[in-house]
Amino acid sequence: MLKGGKREPCVRPRNGLLAIRWYQEDVHVLHNSQLARQRLHRCDQKPTRTKSPPILDGCNQTIIPDELKNYKQHSDFESGLKPLWLRAQSGNELAYQEALRLIAGRLRSYFRRHLMNLPDEVEDLVQETLLALHLHRDSYDPTQPVSAWVLGISRHKLMDLYRRRGRREALHEPIDGLEDDLAAEEPGETLAKRDLRSLLEELPRAQRIAIEMTKLEGLSVTQASKRTGVSESAIKVQVHRGLKRLAALVRKEPK
Amino acid sequence: MKTDTLIEMLARQAGPAPDFPVGRHLAAAASLGLLASSVLALALIGPLPAAVFYTAAPWIKLVYAVLLLVGTSALAARLSRPVSSTVMARAAVTSVFLLMLLAGAVTLITTPEGGRWSALLGQTWWICPWMLMMLSLPALTAILWAMRSLAPTRLKQAGFAAGLVAGVLGAMGYSLACPETSVAFVAIWYSMGIALTGWVGQWLGPEVLRW
Repeated sequence: MLKGGKREPCVRPRNGLLAIRWYQEDVHVLHNSQLARQRLHRCDQKPTRTKSPPILDGCNQTIIPDELKNYKQHSDFESGLKPLWLRAQSGNELAYQEALRLIAGRLRSYFRRHLMNLPDEVEDLVQETLLALHLHRDSYDPTQPVSAWVLGISRHKLMDLYRRRGRREALHEPIDGLEDDLAAEEPGETLAKRDLRSLLEELPRAQRIAIEMTKLEGLSVTQASKRTGVSESAIKVQVHRGLKRLAALVRKEPK
Repeated sequence: MKTDTLIEMLARQAGPAPDFPVGRHLAAAASLGLLASSVLALALIGPLPAAVFYTAAPWIKLVYAVLLLVGTSALAARLSRPVSSTVMARAAVTSVFLLMLLAGAVTLITTPEGGRWSALLGQTWWICPWMLMMLSLPALTAILWAMRSLAPTRLKQAGFAAGLVAGVLGAMGYSLACPETSVAFVAIWYSMGIALTGWVGQWLGPEVLRW
């Protein structure tokens, strides 16, 4: 499959990032330092490779190395996610749900690989990251791949967890490396240790009620505003502040 | 709460994503910082005599600072969100700095031999960077505060960029009170003070920018 120079993936710089090229499309963004380790070359430079024998399976068929499989899957992930995400950003609720589900699956396997010693933390961190993605969705720049943006925030959340847990674990963690992408292989959801529903009870009354009405009962902002006698914009502000507060509680909560 | 319930909750009535308020927040913080550094400089050191503003000296500093402000604030804005590239902004900052060094070197060469040391060190070289950094601290606080409300994920770099912006604002304030007149002095000691503030920001970034 890898025979013939044309089909070989190469890497080209774009917007200061490097994107892996695979079959004419950019599928994965990575940093300069990762190049050598992954035996990839830049499209604008000649490959400086040491001759490595082709990998053959028992029937003399070339096997695609695992990491390249990931890139292909990555491409599917990004191309599936991006249109959904763009619709979600412009206000489509269903697309947003679908996009978050896709992302949650990737997050789960990403965090699972990085929290080998703390498997109980995975689902909590997935929820925390989803909350962070939602609260910071304005920071997404449509010229960039959604998966790179998600990965940026997920890494940030992972590092934050390490810091909260003391740096010891962070030292053992190869934070940049081959496995540091949002590769597929999606394990099922496990039970979260902390219950967001009960954390909601700790919010100030106005924020809690605004969230319960619009986010849980599904009332429209107008209906919620009529029922509480608070203006529509105030309801929106309360919801946003409430979710922010919730995210802060999630980080603070002792385990 | 199950993750799927959370997802439904987040998406329900989410509406379109709001605009990213990076310009608004950083500009507000920077204005506040500039005000603070100017007031501090005038109150602590005292203004230069008005006649000095008819000479080139304070304007050189201000022009240098304004040019640096363009690049450093672009850098800070880009580091306030995940993945955006910083190459252009870094190039802009570096080239302004190098241009200033070049200008300093040229003026140094053209000054007569005897005056070179005094052009380089002035009378205040040992205090200038520290004073500048001190005047920048309110700006640094404001900018880090503003950045925290955005979405920085590269915390050290973001802190450094915040520090550079603050340092530049401190330099603007300090230029109202600083008696030095040579280009070489500004190129070295002002830059040193700005970098110093950058390092303070870099040190603070991972601590205060977490979210």
